[in-house]
Amino acid sequence: MNRSDPETEAGRRFATLCEGLRPDLLRFAFWLARDRQLAEDVVQEALLRAWKSFDALEDEGKAKSWLFTIVRREFARTFERKRLEVADLDALVAAEAPVLAAEDDGDLAAMREALFRLEGDYREPLVLQVMMGYSTQEIADMMGLQQGAVLTRLFRARARLRHLLGLTPEPAS
Amino acid sequence: MMDCLEFRRQVGAEPTLSDPQVETHRRDCPACARYQDELRSMDALIARALAVDTTRLALPQKKAVERAGRHRYFAIAASIAVGLAVGLALLVSAPRESLAREVIDHVAHEPGALAAIGPVSAGALAEALDPEGTRLRPGVGDVTFAARCLHQGRVVPHLVVRVPEGAVTVLLLRHRAVDGPEHFEEQGFAGVVLPAPRGSIAVVGQGVQDLDAVARKIFDAVDWGE
Repeated sequence: MNRSDPETEAGRRFATLCEGLRPDLLRFAFWLARDRQLAEDVVQEALLRAWKSFDALEDEGKAKSWLFTIVRREFARTFERKRLEVADLDALVAAEAPVLAAEDDGDLAAMREALFRLEGDYREPLVLQVMMGYSTQEIADMMGLQQGAVLTRLFRARARLRHLLGLTPEPAS
Repeated sequence: MMDCLEFRRQVGAEPTLSDPQVETHRRDCPACARYQDELRSMDALIARALAVDTTRLALPQKKAVERAGRHRYFAIAASIAVGLAVGLALLVSAPRESLAREVIDHVAHEPGALAAIGPVSAGALAEALDPEGTRLRPGVGDVTFAARCLHQGRVVPHLVVRVPEGAVTVLLLRHRAVDGPEHFEEQGFAGVVLPAPRGSIAVVGQGVQDLDAVARKIFDAVDWGE
């Protein structure tokens, strides 16, 4: 195999990046897709796309947000391509019960199920904020929204969760 | 001056928000302070809930096999393969017993494969590999056995390659993805399974010096095709 050293070095750097970030990428994809199989597919395809454009990543310090953006776009592409429809939330929850389970912690299990049932428009910014630590402006940039729209979605996401957990009545839309 | 509605709107979107106006309102309104504290507690629970155990995200075997059959596996660039092989091989993960046992059992039950000493013809090698769109680049060593074997319900290419360090068995497990290198030792064999652009590759030997280096060399020689 003929490869120059720089290419091998790039492959090594990319592999190191992926190795460190893959668990979070997989979690992110899972919470977007709510399906282990789809999440795995999305991450694999996203990493291929990322590798193909690795040269374009000028600052490897920004690799994390770069990879998350690619995963998000790949999920959107997959969703569009397969015209996925969620027909039965209960069936989805049952199918992913092993992931959502939290032995001896009812609150944790209830929150996982509530997050699973949360509408995608609310779930995604919440995941980006709480799990990934992005600011509302960064989330707005990633999702192509105004910051105000992100703030509204985050507010409604928490209100919906409180309702799903039985803490408050159904919030007004 | 911030009122309760504005306070709740802001902290409802960002419970960790802490600016002078928010802090002032917190001091003046115990109910709103309590509301923010509740939201912060809820966020801590959300964070724990989102951090699902990634080992639980691994597909069940049946699903993984179905997926391997339908998934459009990507033709990853050759250098990522090297990158993965070199980079990931350095990370020794705990062996998955079932996979190790499957590979070792397969090797142990085909002693004739290791006994062969003459190099197989190019045609026989191609017959073992080509249906999968795979090639083995020349120069890695003499291939003394090449067949398509039934392994865990799947037909997989099974090679024995003689390198200066010794003879190693190579199984191309397209249906079996692994997250990282898996080393194992059983029944006198030592082996490593490496993640590959298509599934994984298992390299197993007996008394082979520096098996990792041998595995890397073989991994490097495999062209996984389109």
